[in-house]
Amino acid sequence: MAVKYDLNEREVWDGNFAASQSLRQAKVDVVAAYPITPSTPIVENYGSYVANGYVDGEFVMVESEHAAMSACVGASASGGRVSTATSSQGFALMVEVLYQASGMRLPIVLNVVNRALASPLNVRGDHSDMYLGRDSGWIQVDAFNAQEAYDLALCAFKIGENHTVRLPVMVHQDGFITSHTAQNVYPLSDEVAYDFVGDFKPVDDMLDFSRPITYGAQTEEDWHFEHKARQHKALFDSREVIDAVFAEFEKISGRAYKRVESYDMEDAEVAIVALGTTVETARVAASELRSEDGIKAGVVAIRNFRPFPFDKVREALANVKSIAVLDRSSPGGAMGAFFNEVSAAIYSTPNRPLVTNYIYGLGGRDFSIEEAKRIFKEQKENADAGHIMTDIQQFSGLRGPSLGFFKTKRG
Amino acid sequence: MQDLKLLANDKRGKTELGSRRDLVGWHEVTQGSILPSFDGDAIGIALKKAEERVYSNFNSYTATVASWRVQKPVFNIDVCIDCQNCWVWCPDSSILSRDKQMMGIDYDHCKGCQVCSEVCPTNPKSLLMFNEYVQLEDALASWPEKKKKEK
Amino acid sequence: MATTSIKNLKEFSTTNDRFEGAHTLCPGCAHSMIVRELMNCTDDNLVIGSNTGCLEVSTAVYPFTSWDTSWIHIGFENAASAISGAEAMHKARKKKGTLKDNDASVKFVAFGGDGSTFDIGFQWLSGAIERGHDFTYICLDNENYANTGGQRSSATPIGSTTSTAQAGTHSYGKKEKKKDIVAIMAAHGAPYVAQLAPNKWKAMAKGFQKALETEGPCFINTVSPCCTEWRFDPKDTIGITDLATDSLMFPVYEIIDGHELNILYRPKTVIKVEEYMGAQGRYKHLFKPEYRHIIDKVQKDIDEQWDYLQRREEARI
Repeated sequence: MAVKYDLNEREVWDGNFAASQSLRQAKVDVVAAYPITPSTPIVENYGSYVANGYVDGEFVMVESEHAAMSACVGASASGGRVSTATSSQGFALMVEVLYQASGMRLPIVLNVVNRALASPLNVRGDHSDMYLGRDSGWIQVDAFNAQEAYDLALCAFKIGENHTVRLPVMVHQDGFITSHTAQNVYPLSDEVAYDFVGDFKPVDDMLDFSRPITYGAQTEEDWHFEHKARQHKALFDSREVIDAVFAEFEKISGRAYKRVESYDMEDAEVAIVALGTTVETARVAASELRSEDGIKAGVVAIRNFRPFPFDKVREALANVKSIAVLDRSSPGGAMGAFFNEVSAAIYSTPNRPLVTNYIYGLGGRDFSIEEAKRIFKEQKENADAGHIMTDIQQFSGLRGPSLGFFKTKRG
Repeated sequence: MQDLKLLANDKRGKTELGSRRDLVGWHEVTQGSILPSFDGDAIGIALKKAEERVYSNFNSYTATVASWRVQKPVFNIDVCIDCQNCWVWCPDSSILSRDKQMMGIDYDHCKGCQVCSEVCPTNPKSLLMFNEYVQLEDALASWPEKKKKEK
Repeated sequence: MATTSIKNLKEFSTTNDRFEGAHTLCPGCAHSMIVRELMNCTDDNLVIGSNTGCLEVSTAVYPFTSWDTSWIHIGFENAASAISGAEAMHKARKKKGTLKDNDASVKFVAFGGDGSTFDIGFQWLSGAIERGHDFTYICLDNENYANTGGQRSSATPIGSTTSTAQAGTHSYGKKEKKKDIVAIMAAHGAPYVAQLAPNKWKAMAKGFQKALETEGPCFINTVSPCCTEWRFDPKDTIGITDLATDSLMFPVYEIIDGHELNILYRPKTVIKVEEYMGAQGRYKHLFKPEYRHIIDKVQKDIDEQWDYLQRREEARI
């Protein structure tokens, strides 16, 4: 039996500590992990719970992130609760196995502390690794602060392990800004948290010897397509379960989550659409602009990056005039991926707002309230002019001559 | 004397491997492409003989690779000494042995590699290769005599 | 532990196959002889992981599986990690009492070809052995990437032709010696390491049973002659294996706790390696006069290794 861990009603935790506490409270059976900045403390904290008897599960410190996810797959197929954490290069090394985990429908929870991808090497936060996972068939939820990193990790187990879902879940938080910044966190008691997550109920359990099973069969052109289609449908169908889990979580915590979060959007004319900690920065900017300049600014945040909330994005942005979609990942010779997805969603709205793309914050470059205001103001100019006045894709917060691509005139 | 379905579960070799007969739509494929080997409870399966098991339709036991074969091994019980060399080295689990005795060949799973015949120590051999179309009776009737040691 | 009787072949033949036919391995493939023997030498439940390779692509082609036990394949390199995870989960669930049957005995096994063992999965294997998981890793060593058409691996012996280390007018095939995987695994301090061969079925079954009984990570390299890429008639698989063990190209031995070496098979008559090589198409070019020195070099290496193994055994160190 695990030793009781004393918790205060209000704790001062960083995002990493918050995530590690959710793993402890969910009574994970196997954590197989490999350390990498900035997610290392999740694994270290968990290691201290192991060393001091706060957890009963197995802790397997493997020799690489690829092996970490591989061991997670083997463990998850063996009928128990499994979790790990990683970032950046480690995430990139895991990619092969991420696709395998989702293809086998294994509900592993991966805490991703977002960090840039080299080269050049960089340990700070951007969303390159989160984007790298976007086609991997995992559910991806995004926490904007330490409290959310804790809450969403608990929700992740309940979502992924639901028998109608049976998919792995990534819980993202921004490297350093969330992971290493101590903030107020209101944890649930161990009992309430575990009651919420519930006992793990195995499906296709390799350790159930009354029913031997084969995992990882080969499917060629005569079968592969059907399997991937079924998996895709399961991912889209998980939306209802995610909503239900969020609703249940609100009941026990008082904290409400939505797949798409809208702030000040009721009457907004211009909007920033963003992910991660930038959402909080943009919210402050929007509220200040409303009082300072009378600009009706709002923020739309994507909580549930995958399955992409195509319909909810349309609803949230149906009535604005000009939108800035912020991509915190080097777009590599294209418009930002997030921009493309949001644009595709709003293309089929009757209003068809103007939409531009900002590449910002790469490698942990600070994104300030002032910069958010500047972007809002550009949107206001677009909205007033009725067409995009700037380059469609611009780099924000970059030294040197302004960098942007493509122009349009509409109206 | 050599029953083609000797010691067989009724499902043995019922599906041609690679046949497109059982193709189903996306809504009917198994979740996660996972395949159960048996229907029902498989506790203690190691102690059950093939003919006593409840194989699922996903078990390759229910498939056949007989069409791979150009030549087939024929077993002559009159010469066999039940050494079980053929059993231990058959790469296709196709030598049917029960109670320490060689009973025959599983022609649904035999690919005709000839290893069994090669490792057979009797003189003449108790397993010899014949063209697929040769009848068992004809094969047995044409069995060679014991070879004399060359001086 | 429920080992089956391997006193003699008659006894052994009363075991029931858990590796089913109608897999798609080549006729005469030694892989399935080895896998069958492993599965038949115990009655315990098995959880098996396979790296990508001939064995994997031939035994789980949807909608069919040839495995009567729990089996998992992830990628080319990570069966050892998958089995690490499964073994850890078994420990965790046993402790918590959440297994369907908490008393059921189970053994964990991973299979890999030489490509996935010596090359791409080397790190994953090394990590799993170092961590001390209770499992047995079996390498099916056919000395090349047979599944993809016969490319060189670091297990390919010097002088053998493969599609990526070809014999030609300017080349005698692979120029590098084979990696000594058994010594490397023994150096990890694994409690049981062995090299076994399917022609010596009893030594192999004994070794398998020993590995399964031994607590901790065990490693076994098995010679698995590949008729397709070694270029011999499928019927001769066991005959070629005889030449491999009798020429001492593949000595059969075990190393216990990283130091105690026992030779498990001593040929009555040791044959020359050219007899072994001459029986296979992959060495054909070596019989040209200009490459005679390669055969001589291989023979010299074999003689030296055999001398070393015997001295190690004698020294009991």
